[in-house]
Amino acid sequence: MNNNIKLGVSLYSFSTEYISDALDLEGVLKKAKELGFQGIEIVAAQMVPEYPYPSDQWLEEFRGLLSKYELTPVCWSAYIDMGIRSDRDLTEQEIIQYTLNDLIYAKKAGFKMVRTQHAISPKIFKAMIPYCKKLGMQLTIEMHHPHHPEVEVWKEFFKIMKGEGKGILGFVPDFSIFQKSPHQLYINQAISSGFREDKMVEIIKKHEAKVPLEFVLQEELSDIEKEITEEMYHKFSAPAKIEQLKEIIDCAFYIHGKFYYLKDGEHDPCIPYEEILKTISELGYDGYIASEYEGHHFDETIDSALQLERYVALNKKILG
Amino acid sequence: MDFQAYNKILICRENIQNVEIDGNVIGYEFKIKYPSYRGAFLSCIEKLEFEVDGEKIAREDVYFFLNGKQFLIDELPELFKEYWFIKDKATIRIVKEGGIANGDHSVNVFMVHRVPYTGYFGQYLVLDSNVTTTLTASN
Repeated sequence: MNNNIKLGVSLYSFSTEYISDALDLEGVLKKAKELGFQGIEIVAAQMVPEYPYPSDQWLEEFRGLLSKYELTPVCWSAYIDMGIRSDRDLTEQEIIQYTLNDLIYAKKAGFKMVRTQHAISPKIFKAMIPYCKKLGMQLTIEMHHPHHPEVEVWKEFFKIMKGEGKGILGFVPDFSIFQKSPHQLYINQAISSGFREDKMVEIIKKHEAKVPLEFVLQEELSDIEKEITEEMYHKFSAPAKIEQLKEIIDCAFYIHGKFYYLKDGEHDPCIPYEEILKTISELGYDGYIASEYEGHHFDETIDSALQLERYVALNKKILG
Repeated sequence: MDFQAYNKILICRENIQNVEIDGNVIGYEFKIKYPSYRGAFLSCIEKLEFEVDGEKIAREDVYFFLNGKQFLIDELPELFKEYWFIKDKATIRIVKEGGIANGDHSVNVFMVHRVPYTGYFGQYLVLDSNVTTTLTASN
């Protein structure tokens, strides 16, 4: 087995602690180090106080903290915030300028990669090549659920990544694309909003057994139960095919190891980690996997560090 | 059900303070945070309404303080260069002669806000954050 895969962490995993002021940025970096991570990703719009124009003073402090805790800056995560104005969407030119802005500040902060979003469009993505070359930066697009390799726009993105953008433009598969069933925190949230527990268990079984939605909806369900059942079916019924990674792994500069809740460090019942990690390892992937805990959107009482500890254990168990 | 957990941080649990000028109490203040995992521009707030003890506050009686500046509710849609960092508290000042009486008050904040990036099907997600909590005034 290829052991060159490096395990990093997206600081976004600590959203609960960071936003509730239990941890500040230094506290988050210290925790990342304690958990054994080598590389970090920052969601700039979350943890950069003066975003989108961080001061040199802040950038210097940040670089100082990274060196204090011996952490490698791997990925600066940006958004295509084209809806910031109330009167109109940003123009293509403005999106280029904002994306360049992220590339510049990411570079100043010590990163070599910016992760952006699919809304960048193939045209603008291509237009960023000269800027990336000049700055020595890579630009990547995250492929997140419900997107998957067969979505039309991604065919265009891959063509650019494999063509004139080779080595400069890439993508970041997020393991949410392989999620096949609802996670525990989703289930808990559904129950607390009125979904009967026994009904929930029954519907999850039917979803697993691939009973079509229209049959399930014929059961006696309350309005909220119907709504959540429909959402569940829409979200978790079309996971991407793991073998498709073969054709596109050369464009994967980075990976988001997404997870929502682990009850131990042995197995994730929603995302088929065993199969995914074996596949990318056999394909020779040797970049970072960013551990990305995302249960904080569903339950702010969960200890993120403990979740990450289990995640590391799970990865080590599979990758050796 | 996405993004709902962050509504809990919208109203800060600090006491309500009366605002006094030369012995005249002209109103009162409390604090709110942006209910998301990430910061955004004030222009992403499409609606911001307040109710105190069941009474709707007229928007012309509200001042919004952030980044060392003071804004009117009607100005928010234009503020696409005014960034609301996720850890920063905005102060809401309600103009009311005599301020607010000491004791517990029920405060409701209703914010409609747009996630500024488009979702996977090209649409903006517009979220409702509707939170009621009890805050104490002790002046």
